[in-house]
Amino acid sequence: MVVLRAHMCPGLELQLVRDLREADISTVEELVSADLEALAQKCSVSYKALLAIRRVLLAQHTAFPVSGADLYEDLLSSTAILSTGHPRLDELLDSGLYTGELTELSGGPGTGKTQVCFGVAVHIALHLKQGVIFIDTTGGITATRLHQMLQTESSSLEEQIAALQRIHVFQLFDVFSLLDCLCSLRRSGLQPVAVGGACVRAVIIDSVSAVISPLLGTRHTEGMSLMMQVAALLKALVKDFSVAALVTNHVTRSVGGAVRPALGVSWSHLPRTRLLLEGPDRSTHSFSSLRSATLIKSSRQPCHMRVEFDLSWWSRSKEVPSAKRKHS
Amino acid sequence: MQRPVWSLPLSSAVISKLNRRGYQCTADIEHLTTGVKEEEASEVLDLVDHQRYPVSITALELLQREAELKPIVTFCSELDRALGGGIPLGKTIELCGVPGIGKTQLCLQLAVDVQIPECFGGLGAQCLFIDTEGTFFLERLREMAAAVVRHCSLLTEDQEQQDAMRTFTVEKILSNLFVRCDDSMELLSQISDLPAFLSDHPEVRLIIIDSIAFPFRLHFEDLPLRTRLLLGAAHQLAALATTRNTTVVMTNQMTTRVQGEGSRLIPALGENWGHAANIRLLLQWIDCKRMATIIKSSIFSVSIILSVLLPVHT
Repeated sequence: MVVLRAHMCPGLELQLVRDLREADISTVEELVSADLEALAQKCSVSYKALLAIRRVLLAQHTAFPVSGADLYEDLLSSTAILSTGHPRLDELLDSGLYTGELTELSGGPGTGKTQVCFGVAVHIALHLKQGVIFIDTTGGITATRLHQMLQTESSSLEEQIAALQRIHVFQLFDVFSLLDCLCSLRRSGLQPVAVGGACVRAVIIDSVSAVISPLLGTRHTEGMSLMMQVAALLKALVKDFSVAALVTNHVTRSVGGAVRPALGVSWSHLPRTRLLLEGPDRSTHSFSSLRSATLIKSSRQPCHMRVEFDLSWWSRSKEVPSAKRKHS
Repeated sequence: MQRPVWSLPLSSAVISKLNRRGYQCTADIEHLTTGVKEEEASEVLDLVDHQRYPVSITALELLQREAELKPIVTFCSELDRALGGGIPLGKTIELCGVPGIGKTQLCLQLAVDVQIPECFGGLGAQCLFIDTEGTFFLERLREMAAAVVRHCSLLTEDQEQQDAMRTFTVEKILSNLFVRCDDSMELLSQISDLPAFLSDHPEVRLIIIDSIAFPFRLHFEDLPLRTRLLLGAAHQLAALATTRNTTVVMTNQMTTRVQGEGSRLIPALGENWGHAANIRLLLQWIDCKRMATIIKSSIFSVSIILSVLLPVHT
């Protein structure tokens, strides 16, 4: 519903807008579907002028159809697969995060979602030398940890500093700031105000459920609408700019005791790929860094594929090729 | 793509007024001239103002900021070592444990330690202690304060430290800020008031809530409502901690989960609450020794289990 305004297109003067409003035409949709001859008589303006205005407005506001072949060519040239940096996770994700798509990581507290997000950000900034936007809604981002991970991957200080400059962090704590942030990123074409020059390839949000879950479950449906607005903006962002998005989500327990991702069924349609992280095994008193990841939604791999991975991969020392757990 | 008007943080009265006038999305409001009262109009226009982008910082700047923040020492050397020097500033920390294991003791110790003057390596800051259970023991705090003052006076070397010791006394430490909340409503409103409180008291760098579980476990039949309220409160605390570089320490109780044939102790307040804090420390008795495990943290990749000797100062 776009409201008619003066100077929206050549020929649409202020007086004409007022005349149209008096004739009950206040939006573009109403003008385009109105009977132009009758309207021309009522507003005492020429039929040709109205026709020209309608043509321009239609061109401005309609979606342009694209042929399937062109779309395929476009996709082949613009899609990239970004490795997560952890070989086991790459196995599960069919080589990594795909641009133009959203991947979701869900898991209980302490299962390693934030660590995986850090690992992905570090890998993309250091090895792929691309920019990363990290939206933190929990206050959990610690640059010290990012630096530790960088030190594991590279021993050159310049490379570490360059990688740190490619990771742009937004710390937001409510859904309206998140919407503002996504809108402004979209409007600015994903070029955050920073020195760096690296093109942004990934957007990581940790976690999206922290800002949305407090709004859901009440009698009012605003929470649901705000959630879907976030979903729509994210989808538009990944598609328009060919970036990969990684979001983290909480889990809830269903009646039978089974664990499933939070935010409900409506949200579940947004991510193309969903991973559920579990672990560690708490039955004994020892706590390990092993976790398991199960694929619960994917269009490329069989679902319910499961891998075990070690969180200490990102703290491995260079001399020992296989990661060893340390118990004290 | 257009951003609809209802996704702006406006009251529903203003939103329905805008909708009735035909303004469905923010692009329409950019040219708003008539139809809405003055104050409301400027509020709306303010929100739509494109110049108010959220600001980002690079990870390098974040690292530099973090390097300037000193942690709060706990005087338990193993715990301090595991946490990288002490309790980090700007994070929310949850302490879970069975009754009697020492959660309140640790909180009292932190309340004293945050006040250690900067020339001794401390923060020289103040603490706000929110007590919901009534287990705040003034005598114990006095003992701990005396022990820390004694410890610092033994370390005094130069003039600056001697000057600091003149004001760093037990009385000064005891003039902490202290609040008692009796039920969940009082606690929630106290938490909502914290931003204004911290603006008035910029010296406060530590907020302790002992315990956050107690008011929510009594008389709360509506569990979904409880989860929503708790998550909202935790979120406000996380926002506060990050924006003001203040640490929030919350203590939690334990509950039993019955699984199959056995049962085990897990932290109270539910599954969702587990996501609330940035760092979770579980205190438990293992083989008659007091052990602390970091079960959730973004700073460490591996949960470290270590034995904790809470300092018994005499």
